[in-house]
Amino acid sequence: MSDGYRLGVDIGGTFTDLVMVDLHNGKLLDEKVLTTPDDPSLGVIEGVKKILEANNIHASKLKHIIHGTTLVANAIIERRGSKVALITSQGFRDIQEMGTESRYDTYDLFMKMPAPLVTRRWRFEVPERIGPDGQVITILDESKVIDVARAIASSDVDAVAVSLLHSYQNPNHERRIREILQHESPDIIVCISSDIMPEIGEYERTSTTICNAYVLPTFTRYLARLTNRFHKMGVNKDLYLMLSDGGTVHESTAAIYPIRLVQSGPAGGAQAAVAINKITDNKDNQGNILCFDMGGTTAKACLVEDGKPMHANEFEVARIFRGKKGSGIPLKIPVIEMIEIGAGGGSIARLDNLGLIQVGPESAGADPGPACYGLGGQKATVTDADLILGYLAADNFLGGDIQLDIEASKTAVKNTIAKPLGLSVVDAAWAIHETVNESMGQAAAIHALEKAKRITDYSMIPIGGAGPVHACNIALKLNLSLLICPPSAGVASALGFLVSPTSFTTLQGGVIPLSRLNFEAVNRQILSMEEQGRKLNTEARESTGGVNVEILASMRYIGQGYNVEVGISKKVLISKNIAAIQQLFEAVYLTQFGRIEPHMAVEIVSWRVVVSGPTPEIDLAVARTGAHSDDFSKGHRRIYFGPKTDFISTPVYERSKIEVGREFEGPAIFEERESTIVVPPGSHSFVDKALNLIINLPVKSGTELS
Amino acid sequence: MTKIKQFSALQVGIVWQRLSGLLDETAHVFVRTSFSSVVRDNWDFAVCLMDSKGRLFAQSSRSIPSFIGSMPRTLKIILKRFPKESLSPGDVVISNDAYHGTGHLNDITMIRPIFRDGKLIAFIGSVFHSVDIGGAPSVTARDSFEEGLTIPVSKILVKGVRNEDVIAFMMENLRAPEETFGDIGAQFSAYEIGIQRLIKILDDEQIDDLDMLVEEILGRSETAMRNAIAAVPDGMYSDEIMLDGFEEPLKIRCEVCISGSDLSVDFSGTSEQINRPVNSVLNYTVAYSAYAIKCAFNPNTPNNEGSFRPITITAPEGSLLNPLRPAPVWARHLTGHYLPPVIFSALAKLIPDRIIADCGSPVWNVYFAGKLDDGQRFIKMFFMNGGHGARPHEDGPPCLSFPSNIATVPVEQFENSVPILITEKSLIPDSGGAGEFRGGQSQRLSFKMISKDPVTMTIRHERVKYPPRGLLGGRAGSPGCDYVNGERIPAKSRMDLKNNDVVTFDTAGGGGIGSPEKRSEEKIIQDLESGAVTKEAAERDYAYKTKESL
Repeated sequence: MSDGYRLGVDIGGTFTDLVMVDLHNGKLLDEKVLTTPDDPSLGVIEGVKKILEANNIHASKLKHIIHGTTLVANAIIERRGSKVALITSQGFRDIQEMGTESRYDTYDLFMKMPAPLVTRRWRFEVPERIGPDGQVITILDESKVIDVARAIASSDVDAVAVSLLHSYQNPNHERRIREILQHESPDIIVCISSDIMPEIGEYERTSTTICNAYVLPTFTRYLARLTNRFHKMGVNKDLYLMLSDGGTVHESTAAIYPIRLVQSGPAGGAQAAVAINKITDNKDNQGNILCFDMGGTTAKACLVEDGKPMHANEFEVARIFRGKKGSGIPLKIPVIEMIEIGAGGGSIARLDNLGLIQVGPESAGADPGPACYGLGGQKATVTDADLILGYLAADNFLGGDIQLDIEASKTAVKNTIAKPLGLSVVDAAWAIHETVNESMGQAAAIHALEKAKRITDYSMIPIGGAGPVHACNIALKLNLSLLICPPSAGVASALGFLVSPTSFTTLQGGVIPLSRLNFEAVNRQILSMEEQGRKLNTEARESTGGVNVEILASMRYIGQGYNVEVGISKKVLISKNIAAIQQLFEAVYLTQFGRIEPHMAVEIVSWRVVVSGPTPEIDLAVARTGAHSDDFSKGHRRIYFGPKTDFISTPVYERSKIEVGREFEGPAIFEERESTIVVPPGSHSFVDKALNLIINLPVKSGTELS
Repeated sequence: MTKIKQFSALQVGIVWQRLSGLLDETAHVFVRTSFSSVVRDNWDFAVCLMDSKGRLFAQSSRSIPSFIGSMPRTLKIILKRFPKESLSPGDVVISNDAYHGTGHLNDITMIRPIFRDGKLIAFIGSVFHSVDIGGAPSVTARDSFEEGLTIPVSKILVKGVRNEDVIAFMMENLRAPEETFGDIGAQFSAYEIGIQRLIKILDDEQIDDLDMLVEEILGRSETAMRNAIAAVPDGMYSDEIMLDGFEEPLKIRCEVCISGSDLSVDFSGTSEQINRPVNSVLNYTVAYSAYAIKCAFNPNTPNNEGSFRPITITAPEGSLLNPLRPAPVWARHLTGHYLPPVIFSALAKLIPDRIIADCGSPVWNVYFAGKLDDGQRFIKMFFMNGGHGARPHEDGPPCLSFPSNIATVPVEQFENSVPILITEKSLIPDSGGAGEFRGGQSQRLSFKMISKDPVTMTIRHERVKYPPRGLLGGRAGSPGCDYVNGERIPAKSRMDLKNNDVVTFDTAGGGGIGSPEKRSEEKIIQDLESGAVTKEAAERDYAYKTKESL
């Protein structure tokens, strides 16, 4: 093994997490510091210094730094990006304001629509037109472009998004506009849609391009600051950034496509689940994982199948109305597919007008936070319920950094839920706990069903601060029998960065019936996409290992509006085998929808080429140092596991002191600094060689969901 | 046997949540595998669950409102033809009777019984819009026989096996049978998933008697609606609205009566039925009236029959809102979409904080029929939304669908499918009605014909003579307008367009709320900067003088 360290850094909303691997012996080191929102690079540097000092390591030993951040998502959510102008085809500057023209809530007359990031005054039209086949219908009026470029040059616009109709078929007009803009103001940032996301659909392609331009200046300034601070402390390595699709790229590539970082942290969490799953030695586990990440305000669920997280090519950022789908800004970017549920530890419980309990999506946040924080919160939250039920200990929250006030929790639950419903405080707390778990379980089950999967075929890996507290109860609802609870679940995303390959996805849209596929043109295009991918994946060039090239076609029956992703080999494309492509499509379609339509013709909507380097290996079996102590018991606590059993006196263990191989019968509580695992009666669990706590639950059989 | 009192608030809440999720999932399966743009892009369908007594207890949440409550009425008719004992597992019954269903023949309803341990416990049903249903539906249709094929109540699947006679009958009468049958097949798959999920939920929650649970759910919904109605003062509130109509305008008059926790809407005084296809059968009238009341009184509870128990909707027989057979009904949305605005304006003084001003609807659409360059025929429909009505405390959004919920088709998608170019899609200045809160802007859409062969265009647009009204002192939005090559054309017409012809549609703007005098200067300046309001209009409507004009 070589000398030195690889470092993963994830900036989250509250904490900046660091995980470092010693390349010499494969051991992992963790650190957690507070995020510094005004200049997040300060927090990163503080964390790096802390982790280096604590382990007595010199800065020059850092070989490789992989970084993920909420900066991109937050810039859009908080509307703190740069001033952007849009240039579009004559007659179409209002597309962003009209959106889909549909309401995402059928009954709410006052649902909010997101305001466009570019106000109308800064949306310019230029005479030009390209047809759906890529032919020029009206040539670009360059004199008008020069006028616009000069207007922009004399303004305080930082970046320009250029998005013309059908540019995914012919990028020449967009490229020419970029040249003219750069000629008029050499320093201006220009993002063109045929480069950012060359796919059909003017609304989404344009909004993706605008968002990229909107975050780009902020992001590059941040990168420069961070690099500068690293240099000052003697670290001269290039940075790598985590993308939303689970690949990492060199900072120079990230600086061109910063919008692809919008989900970098959660993508890291999913990648961590993949790595954790690889090492577990449980025979029942078939490699299908439900990664369940529950934090303070939201929970996310992601399916991992055969060691690969599921992917999607669209994402909605900055939802502004109760987290509802449709209330945000649509993006077309490659992402690890996840569902997000507006339910976390801070979610507020209330009664609706039917007298039924609703939990979330309103959250108490960090301030005032749950009632038990004692910062003035009066509303009952999920965390308050968890405290009343005994899952959390008042004196062990964040390792005791925050003392929780159980009486405040009881008062809040009593006033807002128990009294109006005529329930005891404990019954009301249990109802809150059950309701939030039901929401999450149901969302996960629906997500699986949408993918034509059975959730019962999955094992769960819970991460995030609140994930392990709720995991077993949700798993029981879903009939999942196996949970894998990794150590340091709170820094899982940063660990995920360290086990992600360098990777870049290029995309090209253009609808064509399969029967009329021009293989020469397609093969030429795929080759040029591969070249671009190799160029942007610099690591793939440096890497000694093999470079993997994956070709995917988005396909559907002609007349349909939703696509399935079909992996197609170069061999099939070179041999011009239409029948083979048809068969590959039918196989995927059949798996997803349970039937095929033999009489319907098939079309290809777009191509994707993924160029990835080798996946860095971390042997998690040796990565964590297990304690050899018999002193892991922290006594007993009364824990509520439902009305059938009421409160049960339950042993409480200090997780970090338990050695490999130790077995436990439920009920039990395992406490860590940032989280607590709640293990129900009737379960059996043990600590595997990677220090994961493997929990086998007593589930009913025979009522599987198909 | 589960006793009714054993359903705790907790259990009802969780089961209900799961049932709603079940139907949304079922709807999702349908959408993902559907072949028609009206299902996929417009969600012009609904999926429902009814108990063994035929009571609707859950409905997919994103469906468009015209289907509210129609399914139980259709089920009643189906059970007359096929009593429960004649139904077997795997049967699917189909019908599109306009007068028993949702009000026009294009909506096909299918219902499948659900059995558990050999006993019929519930029905899953769906209704969807088939773009073609045969016949020659047009604005000139004089009776419903002209409007297409009526499928009498029949089993399309018998114990899971296709009834080839019924299918052949339909195939022969439809212009695009592949698309319609693609969608029908997609619903069969969706039912399977819905049924499996329902049984799983009942097993998990150990519910033996679904009907009892349904009574509990309906009771809670009813109570919520009653509480909302009882919270406002009793009284009679009435208003009327004028429709462009055909040779003569039409009128809808409504009287809303609130008495304790009951609410009734009566449409006496509305125009009589006409021999043009805009008659709204009672089911459709009820659906859009009930929808408006739910939006105003109780928008955030799941949709089921219980919410509508306190509400009575009546319309005189033989009127535009309760026509007798065989009055033509194909374009009944041109009438039905006026019901929410007239109910809102009647209620404006009573609950000014819970209603919106008139939107630029009924939704506009255009049909293009022609030939592709390879000679293949095409027929393409395109929807266009107007400006949204102002809200009590904010401006109306631009171009937002209401009361229907129809998404626009992307320009690039449209141009990929037919030889027509869209040359403009932009917001119209000064189209939103002036007011303290301005109505939403409407849009201009221009289409240029680029095929060798002529294209036949059919339109039937409202709000050209009578624009969307403002409320509480707010002014009307701009009326709609249609042009070919810059010349105005009738809003209800059918004509051939040749190569290079350009047809332009200006949809109607939303109405304003509150007196324009009360509009803040900040908002006026914003509008001037964005171009939503011109200098001239700012001076005219808001007496606002820009610096240049001073």
